[in-house]
Amino acid sequence: MKNQNVLVIGSGVAGMEASLILADAGMKVHLVEKDSLIGGQTIKFEEVYPNMECATCMLAPKQQEVLQHENITLYLLSQVKKTEGSAGEFKVQIEKKARYVSLINCIGCGACYDPCPVSLDNEFEQGMSQKKAIAVACPGALPNVPAIDADNCLRLNGKKKGCNACEQACGFGAIDFTEKDETINLEVGAIIVATGFDQFDVSGLAQFGYGKHPNVYTAMEFERLYAQNGPTEGKLTLREERPIKSAGIIHCIGRKEKGYCSGVCCMYSMKFAHFIKDKAPEAEIHEFHTDLCIPGKSHQRFYEELSKKIDFIRYEDVEVKGNNGNLEIIYTHSNGKRDSIKSDMVILSPAMIPSKGTKDLAKVLGISQDSMGFFSTQDQNLSPIDSEKEGIFIIGCAEGPKDIPDSVSQAEAAAGRILSLLQ
Amino acid sequence: MNKKIGVYVCECGPNIPERIDIDKVIEELSSMGEVKTVKRYSLLCSNDGKKFLKEDIEKEELTHVVVAACSPKEHENTFMKVCEEAGMNPYLFQMVNIREQCAWMIPDKEEATSKAIKYIKAGVHRVLFHDPLKQKELEINVDVLVIGGGISGIEASLSLAGPNRKIHLVEKTDSLGGMAGKLSQILPHQGSKIKLVKEKIEQVENNENIHVYTSSDVKEVRGFLGNFEAVVKSNQENKEGIEEEIKVGAVVLATGFEMFDLKENPVYGYGEIENVVSALEFEEMIHSEKIELKNGKKPKSVALVHCAGRKEKGYCSKVCCLYTLKFAHYLKDNLPDVDVKELYMDLCLPHKQDQSYFDQAKEKGVEFIRMDEVEKIKKSGDKIEVEYRNNDKADKVSVDMVVIAPAMVPSQDTSHLAELLNLPLDKSGFFKELHEMLDPVATPMEGVYITGCALGPRNIPESMTQSHATSGKILSSLIPGRKVKPEVKVSEIKEDLCTGCQTCLSVCFYGAISYDPFKGVSVVNEAICRGCGSCVGSCPSGAIRSKHFTYYQLYQEVMEALR
Repeated sequence: MKNQNVLVIGSGVAGMEASLILADAGMKVHLVEKDSLIGGQTIKFEEVYPNMECATCMLAPKQQEVLQHENITLYLLSQVKKTEGSAGEFKVQIEKKARYVSLINCIGCGACYDPCPVSLDNEFEQGMSQKKAIAVACPGALPNVPAIDADNCLRLNGKKKGCNACEQACGFGAIDFTEKDETINLEVGAIIVATGFDQFDVSGLAQFGYGKHPNVYTAMEFERLYAQNGPTEGKLTLREERPIKSAGIIHCIGRKEKGYCSGVCCMYSMKFAHFIKDKAPEAEIHEFHTDLCIPGKSHQRFYEELSKKIDFIRYEDVEVKGNNGNLEIIYTHSNGKRDSIKSDMVILSPAMIPSKGTKDLAKVLGISQDSMGFFSTQDQNLSPIDSEKEGIFIIGCAEGPKDIPDSVSQAEAAAGRILSLLQ
Repeated sequence: MNKKIGVYVCECGPNIPERIDIDKVIEELSSMGEVKTVKRYSLLCSNDGKKFLKEDIEKEELTHVVVAACSPKEHENTFMKVCEEAGMNPYLFQMVNIREQCAWMIPDKEEATSKAIKYIKAGVHRVLFHDPLKQKELEINVDVLVIGGGISGIEASLSLAGPNRKIHLVEKTDSLGGMAGKLSQILPHQGSKIKLVKEKIEQVENNENIHVYTSSDVKEVRGFLGNFEAVVKSNQENKEGIEEEIKVGAVVLATGFEMFDLKENPVYGYGEIENVVSALEFEEMIHSEKIELKNGKKPKSVALVHCAGRKEKGYCSKVCCLYTLKFAHYLKDNLPDVDVKELYMDLCLPHKQDQSYFDQAKEKGVEFIRMDEVEKIKKSGDKIEVEYRNNDKADKVSVDMVVIAPAMVPSQDTSHLAELLNLPLDKSGFFKELHEMLDPVATPMEGVYITGCALGPRNIPESMTQSHATSGKILSSLIPGRKVKPEVKVSEIKEDLCTGCQTCLSVCFYGAISYDPFKGVSVVNEAICRGCGSCVGSCPSGAIRSKHFTYYQLYQEVMEALR
């Protein structure tokens, strides 16, 4: 492999780690991210198990390092559209959408948000809050520079010609409506795919009442609800702003449908119970689980501690019903008994599934997906991170559901494989 | 040296002047003794701003610089770099945060201005007492010592070895392969019939850049990233006791695991009852293709008992559910009439392909029985009875053979090596990662890495992945021809004040401090110290100072702020 350039797709915890190790070794890294910020899913979490560390604080130094590293070129709002060639000499085409805000001039003061006349659902917050057409995804987003949503900006979509409210408010000349989308062509020696995961869509499973009953939340919604930089600034309340007196957390949503265990939901569901106990100590909490999959060396202790405070119910089947604004969880216990519990809030812990763009990217890269939709790897024993194509590596949740340390290990391993080949 | 200080106030666009009267700041600061110049600039971090700063430092021939602007987290490095480019020592620089801590916090302009003035004056006072610290560079050795010749150690060695990098692979037994070498087959859905371990061992033996020491122990390891010295002692018959000193730049620990001793808990009846075997013994049976009872007959029924030792050890070993499934498949495939019962607590099948492997076992007729715990395994006539409890009800199964899956526990060498290398262990007795989430193969000792089951239970692909991860970390930090740059802001000990109490040794997380018995004082190894300051706080005689954070510097800064 003569070409010392590497393409990394996805800037979550895995993509960042792989980029940093390669960049430290003197390789030129091209890091492509589809969103306007870096950090992936991990930065949505207030705290991560089992040590309850603040995820944003934990990742911020890594994010800064990525932004400042002289060997990393970052392409935000970008997607890989074409690849050709083989290991050592891939030709790659990237499509980069205009941000309309200069990453160099903007200092992230936020003066442009308020004057913007357009309000939108904030996807980063799972639609639980609004943002302006010029905005950062959440406080603390890095780079701390907003992007203009061209589809919704009145000036850019042509609905209000000449609107320049944000430009007027900017003291740094950072807004540029003339910026154009770009096509970038690169040559790289290797490609690392770190496109992460999405959450299984629970709205198709009517028995859980998601979408019908407002206080049924998905795990990701609850993560943001608990987050200090989230839509409620970390205040745990029901949708109608009543305090939470009881909650039921249901594991394994979508496991049957998808045909695999996601390996992390038991632990994060228990983390949720810990969160609620932290902010509403009197709340009564029930964890509805099937097999507990808690394989980390410190995870069982976490479970044992928690089981002193909350009820664990092993279920055969479970459904959620509305009852005059309250929720009722009706279930069959593993001992065969049918029972029900009233609950203010229900949190559903859905399976992890391949991220949205996986199918398209697989086509672009000329590699296949496995029966579950994740990128296929060659051989689970010899090379769990090698795709079928030499020179393309699959890391993190793009390869299958896993936790943060396993994602980081795979990222470092991909870097190790590439550096080892170059020795 | 004549001190000439330059003070630069950044406006940060409208952010700072909206709340702070910069003219007043300039007026107040200009009257300070050593201050040669005070200037304002619209946006110092911009390219034009940095150029202005560099040229002004050169023009005014400044020796020290104070920048009053945003948080040092944002731009301290930016401005230190500019100072260096302008020919100054970058440590004769101080950043004062008048944006987050003054302009953005205090609505009253007069109050904000007066606080900003105090802060900047304190900064000026502090920078006067800064020392011009120097970045050292150390020559490095890029070779690597790998301890443990199992699949993790083998994979790390193969990945690391190269034309410019020699690997010393030390294995305590007389052959390579470790635990994985004892397994009959790797899980079929993870690639069947591969002679994984054998092939890898051949690759190691044929690699001229890997030196293998079998029947050997590592007796001593001293040093730091890029410069370790180790002593390897041979226990081989004709070389017994011979010690060899080797020099390496990094160390990889791949010391693996052992099996929980089933005799520790009498409920399993292990060692007492015939035909109650451990998972490893069953592996050997598969290896020799002889699944037989002690009387030579084929078993008609087998119980596979999960989670032995889970309660005792306090963790789930992650791989047992899957390998007992492997046993069930093997039994059903090779003894078609055999009745197989899996007694499990929780099925832990966390990888994407695991569930279908489980579903296939069910299709082959394997019976899965959930239990809360095993109460007793005992002999009953020709049969063995496994009594268990589920949902508070007692029940039992009666079979010809029982295979028990014990927990994975740290290998015997773990605590000894931890002491040797000054590494922490976790509550379960495995090595502890530097950071469980973000640095899963590193340790507090820079240059010492861990891979595989030495860190805790995991399967073969995960262990091999971690070995590649250690290789990634080492190959990006030890590059032939490059030097390493140790931390500049380290601790230093005043020998005349040190009483030799060694309190600092006990608080140093990185093992950077040692005791010199001849002088009777503690000594800091500057190549290892990361400048955390724990020792400074712990020293009862005030003999330790942290460079760039000395008591004197902080005192000067605080006194000026309080004046």
